[in-house]
Amino acid sequence: MLALALATTQVWAANPEAVAEAARGTALAREGKYDLAIQHYQAALKLDAHLPGLYLNLGLAYFKSQRLQEAAGAFEEAVRADSGNFQARALLGMSYYGCARYGAAAAQLKLASDAQPANTELRYTLAQSYLWSGQNAEAEAQFRILLLKDPESAPVHILLGEVLDASNRVEAATAEFEAAVKASRVPPDAHFGLGYLYWKQQRFAEASHEFEAELAGDPQHAQALTYLGDAEMHLEKEKSAEAHLRSALKLNANLRLANLDLGIVLADRSASAEAARCFQAAIRIDPSQSDAHYRLGRLWSSMGREKEAQEEFEKVKQLAAAQPPPPLIKLPGRPAK
Amino acid sequence: MNLSYKRIACALVLAIAAAWAIASAQNVAAAIHFSYRPIGFRLDSCETPRRHAPETMAGGLAIFDSNNDGYPDIFFTNGADIESLKKTSPKYSNRLFQNDGKGHFTDVTEKTGLAGTGFDNAVAVGDYDNDGWEDLFVGGVHGNHLYHNDHGVFTDVTAKAGLAAAPDPEYGPLWSVGAAWVDVNNDGLLDLLVVNYLAWNLESDPACEAAPGKLDYCHPKFYKPTPNQLFLNNGDGTFRDVSAESGIRAHPGKGMGVGLADYDLDGRMDFFITNDKMYNSFFHNKGGVRFEEIAFNAGVALAEDGKFISGMGVDFRDVDNDGLPDIVFAALDNETFPFFRNLGKGGFVDATRSSGMARQTMAMAGYSPTIADFDNDGLKDVFVTRGHVQALGEAKVLIDQPNTVFRNVGGAKFVALTEESGLSAQPAARHRGSAVGDLDGDGRLDVVTSALSAPAEVWLNDSPGHAHWLELKLEGTASNRDGIGARIKVTAGALTQYEQVSFVAGYGSASARPAHFGLGAAATAVVEIRWPSGTVQELRNVAVDRVVHVKEPGVK
Repeated sequence: MLALALATTQVWAANPEAVAEAARGTALAREGKYDLAIQHYQAALKLDAHLPGLYLNLGLAYFKSQRLQEAAGAFEEAVRADSGNFQARALLGMSYYGCARYGAAAAQLKLASDAQPANTELRYTLAQSYLWSGQNAEAEAQFRILLLKDPESAPVHILLGEVLDASNRVEAATAEFEAAVKASRVPPDAHFGLGYLYWKQQRFAEASHEFEAELAGDPQHAQALTYLGDAEMHLEKEKSAEAHLRSALKLNANLRLANLDLGIVLADRSASAEAARCFQAAIRIDPSQSDAHYRLGRLWSSMGREKEAQEEFEKVKQLAAAQPPPPLIKLPGRPAK
Repeated sequence: MNLSYKRIACALVLAIAAAWAIASAQNVAAAIHFSYRPIGFRLDSCETPRRHAPETMAGGLAIFDSNNDGYPDIFFTNGADIESLKKTSPKYSNRLFQNDGKGHFTDVTEKTGLAGTGFDNAVAVGDYDNDGWEDLFVGGVHGNHLYHNDHGVFTDVTAKAGLAAAPDPEYGPLWSVGAAWVDVNNDGLLDLLVVNYLAWNLESDPACEAAPGKLDYCHPKFYKPTPNQLFLNNGDGTFRDVSAESGIRAHPGKGMGVGLADYDLDGRMDFFITNDKMYNSFFHNKGGVRFEEIAFNAGVALAEDGKFISGMGVDFRDVDNDGLPDIVFAALDNETFPFFRNLGKGGFVDATRSSGMARQTMAMAGYSPTIADFDNDGLKDVFVTRGHVQALGEAKVLIDQPNTVFRNVGGAKFVALTEESGLSAQPAARHRGSAVGDLDGDGRLDVVTSALSAPAEVWLNDSPGHAHWLELKLEGTASNRDGIGARIKVTAGALTQYEQVSFVAGYGSASARPAHFGLGAAATAVVEIRWPSGTVQELRNVAVDRVVHVKEPGVK
């Protein structure tokens, strides 16, 4: 995108000093000296705020310096000055995206993409903006257009899978991830993502296979180790599960699920003291989840530590009472008829 | 670019299972099979677009011998007009069908006096006056009824018995969805436990939208809990409310099912009560009509993930033949059907995952589990009526479902059989109550189920094989005449198995049948009975494939 945007400032009847400052800024930007370029663009702005193209180039310098909020401000000015400047609009959208303002990004990128329908990179960012702003139908439409151009694109299949998963269409999401892992170059996390979808559907044997495939490429993938261990617990392969969960925790001791699951495995084979430490670790990581409290309480109770058990049970009761409201919407009471 | 799909690595959302993801085991032969037989009853809960809570909760039923001809009959509870809570039309009538002994049924409702008057939910069978005729307690919305059986004709004696309660002064009118007859103090008289659901009334019933403009049944959280009730049998046809003094009333809940068993083998019957989106209740009988609620300490308050689930119907029997009664109850999709194994040390372990139940039931919604040996192999299986509490389906919620039998394959593991067992021969439905009994006298246990706004189903067991069986019909003398609470040990061949006599079944239902034991290839059995009175009786060289009438020794 930047390749097409670092334009020479158009010079019309303008303040010559401002033009000179802007030109120095552009020269510095071309040398990659963006901070210095910004200083000259700012000086030019003070001399002539209406210098054509100045905000665009200032925005680009900010953008290249990763100062995205300031870049967005400059591009906003550029778009305000020329609403038909789809280059500025695209860059504004990209800046918003970089600031995680996905809804605003989608609005700008849609206009820019409509003006440049062949620009795949724009559409790709637009689709992701839709995805992360929860506009799933729009995201799906954009990803499907991208797949028409490149049906083998594993990243697009994966992102489309995410959209479908976010829309609770888990089977369709799974199909997209399955397409992604058939690609000649399988991106990192693709097998993990597919495994996770299988795991969500309780298809633990298939999930295990995918987690193992991810680990073949990245043996240090702590999440894959965790979910593999969890899937193996459901498949009643406790020994293997324990090994994988321990490996996950060596890589990252702050994985709640790994701590919880390892605690369960250990409690099942009466390694109570270590199980308790695992449950306590799971609680430290996220004290708002009642499962670890309940399991720890049960464990304390089995160890005869009734006081500690009751404390955990009390926490379970408190958390349960604070559970989020049910999914159905309560309407005001009204007569039966 | 930050690959966005890495986000999923952070997700710790509990699994949402697709309905099709749960497959029955393919390598296990379907040793249990049922064939459908129609019966002329359709459960009518007056289901309206407004979706009042009671409309989705109807459906208790009973299998019992109403006329002492030796053949089990079928009684269905039924709904009523939701606004008046009266049976304003014959379509709401409760129904009694008498059995000719071969599994053919005749409607005898009118002549036996069991049509009912209110919105009925639950039925409990028990001979409360020890006259040799099984009586019925029928629980319902804001009104319960006790029917005394006199030679097959029933009379409503609710008021005379002292059970026509006024609205609870603290909780208002109560809504019973379960009940059980049980001798809590071993005085030889059956007492009555009534399980109440939640505080509901028409005037203040909230309306809940599942989608814009579409109402569905509200989450239980919108209603207050209510207490259960315990009525002590005075022995003169009347009862005394001991809910408060027994400790039962101090633990209000949203009761859905009750299981009875002496879990710690101390000679006193305990109660496990499932609650809907609340902790389960477990009342340990301390003697002297005193109960202690111990659900958390016993490990049965919650499923293993520590979250509230929709506890539905329950059964409480020894599944793993160790002499200690275990617990199975139904719940909704994404909650599993929990299985708590009794460890015998005052506590249970959640064996839902290790038994295979978690994996197989994650996508299921169920109401009424009944534990019984359907293939006569000496291992008790679990039949579960399935169907959702809601009326409108979301993307992944199956409203109408087939029933499923979970075959016990030993080692405390179960294999789900649905199509394989013939249970998908009928359309899926919102099944509710269930009861078990040998309806056609072939030694194989049959099942009757009800379903909302759909025909009831009789499932005759035609499982292959010729395994032997034995049924014991107990008659207490010092103990209650039904023998409820008796502990039976049967040894046949290499297998020893146990049963504690209890008629309460699943959701709002009762299986008042002889105690049934599958014996496999064994041709004789040794039977030991520990009566509630404390008497121990042993029968040796008992011939199999028959119903044996066993009278408690000694005279009351």
